[in-house]
Amino acid sequence: MLIEHSFTIIEKIVLISGICISLGSFCFEVWKRLRIVLKGTGSLPLDRIGERLWRVFREVFLQEKVIRGRLLPGLMHGFVFWGFLVFGLVTLDHFAIGFEFPLMSLETRHLYSYVVIPFSILVSIGILYLAYRRFITKPKILGKLSPTSGLVALFILLLMATYLLGELELQPLVWKINWWLHTLLILAFLILVPRSKHLHLVLGPFNIFFKPFHQPHHTPVKIDMEASEEELDEMLSNLTKMTQNQALDIFSCVECGRCMDVCPAYRGGGILNPKDHFILDLRQPLLETRDVDVLSQINVEAGWECTTCQACSEVCPVGNQVEKSDEIRRLQVLVEGNVPQEYQKLFTNLQNTGNSEGATSSSLVDRLPKFTPDMEYVFWLGCFARYELDPNFTKSVENFTKILDTAGVTYGILENEHCSGDPANRLGDKLTYAMLREHNMEQLENSNKVVSMCPHCVLNLGKEYTKYGDISYKVEHHSQLIGRLIEEGKIGVNIGDNGKVTYHDPCNLSRMLNIVDAPRTAIQSVTDNYFELPESGKNTLCCGAGGGLWWKKETVGKTHLVRAEQVVESEADTLVTGCNFCYGMMNQGLDPLIPEGRPKIHVKDISDIVADNLQ
Amino acid sequence: MKICVLIKQVPDKDSSLNISDDHLTLVENNITWVSNESDNYALEEALLLKEKHGGEVIACTLGKDSARQVLKDALAKGADRGIFISDSSFDNLDVLSLGKIIASSLEKENFDIIMSGLQSDDQGNSQLGLILAELLNMSHATLGMGTEVVDDSTIKVKKELEGGWFQWTKLSLPASISIQSGINSPRYATLKGIMMVKKKTVDEVTSGDVAADALESNVTINKIYVPDKTKETQFIEGSPDEISEKLVELFRNDIKVLN
Repeated sequence: MLIEHSFTIIEKIVLISGICISLGSFCFEVWKRLRIVLKGTGSLPLDRIGERLWRVFREVFLQEKVIRGRLLPGLMHGFVFWGFLVFGLVTLDHFAIGFEFPLMSLETRHLYSYVVIPFSILVSIGILYLAYRRFITKPKILGKLSPTSGLVALFILLLMATYLLGELELQPLVWKINWWLHTLLILAFLILVPRSKHLHLVLGPFNIFFKPFHQPHHTPVKIDMEASEEELDEMLSNLTKMTQNQALDIFSCVECGRCMDVCPAYRGGGILNPKDHFILDLRQPLLETRDVDVLSQINVEAGWECTTCQACSEVCPVGNQVEKSDEIRRLQVLVEGNVPQEYQKLFTNLQNTGNSEGATSSSLVDRLPKFTPDMEYVFWLGCFARYELDPNFTKSVENFTKILDTAGVTYGILENEHCSGDPANRLGDKLTYAMLREHNMEQLENSNKVVSMCPHCVLNLGKEYTKYGDISYKVEHHSQLIGRLIEEGKIGVNIGDNGKVTYHDPCNLSRMLNIVDAPRTAIQSVTDNYFELPESGKNTLCCGAGGGLWWKKETVGKTHLVRAEQVVESEADTLVTGCNFCYGMMNQGLDPLIPEGRPKIHVKDISDIVADNLQ
Repeated sequence: MKICVLIKQVPDKDSSLNISDDHLTLVENNITWVSNESDNYALEEALLLKEKHGGEVIACTLGKDSARQVLKDALAKGADRGIFISDSSFDNLDVLSLGKIIASSLEKENFDIIMSGLQSDDQGNSQLGLILAELLNMSHATLGMGTEVVDDSTIKVKKELEGGWFQWTKLSLPASISIQSGINSPRYATLKGIMMVKKKTVDEVTSGDVAADALESNVTINKIYVPDKTKETQFIEGSPDEISEKLVELFRNDIKVLN
């Protein structure tokens, strides 16, 4: 029996008062947070709108990141989310009925219920599962038990129940009581949402829309040594302020802990917990001070532990750029002067000699051709290769030059190449970084093409430098060049015997430079026994050396072993990588972890495995 | 509290050190110059004392023109002003003569404390702090592992003794204290500190300002050479466990083939 119900004037007054209170409270709380966000430095980006909308479609409507990595909880969340979308119209119509201006005719509503009823069941299953996970299985990464989450789960269940009940043929009085219960639940839900992590369902889509395309996305620190004291003070005082993007992140966080799941420092038992230290610890200070001047509150020890691998920012389902080690480190270096001694030595080396090791000569440099303008490529060595931070890597450099020679590609090194500045940049010494950057940009002034085996150098020369000025050259990672030489037939390769071969994606290469396919093209052309590691591509796991940690003497946890252990477990015979630092970490880290009786895992650079199998 | 910190510019340990053909000096082309390690700790200790008790920290160096850099670094870290003692006639003087030059340069300042590193990484004389104490009539402690100002006229110094022992000694001020490496965590120069260097003063002292008798060296260098490598045999005795433990220790600390 399809009937329209009537409402008394008193009911309508109560209803409109309820809506005003609840919506008013909702808007007030959201506005309170938005006002803080708008105080942030910079502005929310509006470029490449098409790509941004496409990202919102994938990550919000398709729940791509929510489901990937956590299939079951992700899917259950998807049920709740898609159910909410379906319920949007039902809810609007629900309130309209209270004013006796229904949006849908009785027949339409009845027809629509064939869609809504299955969804209300899916939502119930989803929310029951999520509540079970949160309150019964209690994964550590979800943090302390949240009573609000319990309340929200209960509200959603009751909303579904009251909806389903309303679809039955009820006595008018029972229908009315049920209608009011449903109404009160929605109004209470509106009050609860902005005060809890459930605000993500309002801010999440916007945050995903505004997320910067390139990671890491830290505000460049431009230092003018000729600036007046006042200008300097102003520049320094801005270092503690969040950008609008960062402030929006803090209020969008859903506290799911995916960032903890992928953080090598957290997984290695270190101090750093990206969810707390980079996000939640800053939420209360933002609300209390009603300002964005809160970056100094980041835990310093945790900040020094970060490998800057960007796994946390990559995995975040609500579009947060989680990592804030840059923010706290540059404060320690530029403002506090509080820098671990081994990093002070590193910075002094960089300032005095232009390289990380304080070296004054390199035998490799003496052996390689020097760049002249008639050559095609500047071969950018980087400190790791140049000063033999792992002597075995020298063989990889020679293998790369062998490939170039075979293909007839001309190349030369720059005698006055200095460190790209990556460690100084990542560790917060933006002054030393500026010095190195300016020197290198001068050295590269007359170059068109640069190729390097070090993704840290590629990232800095090709992307980070552009935050400070224009560059006239193009930088490639050697895997891209090798991949192309194979594809174009400039070098011929055979399928070799390297046993089970796998590839470790370097963070700088995959997540920051988006180079995932080229290394695989190269490797798979010389092996027919290739497999992927559990975490690969843009979801790779850091070797532990990034963010300057190569030079750190002691860490609380075993950040440097997490990936190595995974590689050992994979039972690979050959591990290929595309970064000299990853090479060093694996080359030195795997052996002690291999159980007795198991064969050694051969660590190779892409250039090694290709050069070994040249025709 | 008026504190002077003596800082010497020395070749970086990581530089490739080559000896000149006449075997009397180092070839300087490939040398990276840095502040002497233990002097950095002395500077930090002085800055910490200033932060706690107020006063002034003055950085002083004696060296060639390039040594101005160590003063700049000290000023950037928080020293209030500098004293730069430099003259070509100061080259190749022995530590006593240098002590006399420094003493006469610092005499009129009436410092409460002179802090220096325990020894320089290049010459390793370990005498300057003591010589200055003698020439300037100050009390002295060496191998300083910690300091504590008691009152305007007294300071306590924790000294490192042999065999892991320490001793707290009370010194009357003024005092010259030599500081051991590792006693604190030297700070890094802040951006503001670096920018403020140009506003700070550095007084210059040349040969005309010091007593003539200081310019005579009592020591002459005959030859500089890299220590000869000789074969060394060690017998390790004990149970297999003890032997392996000692071996690992040797590999780690002496031969440095293990991390």
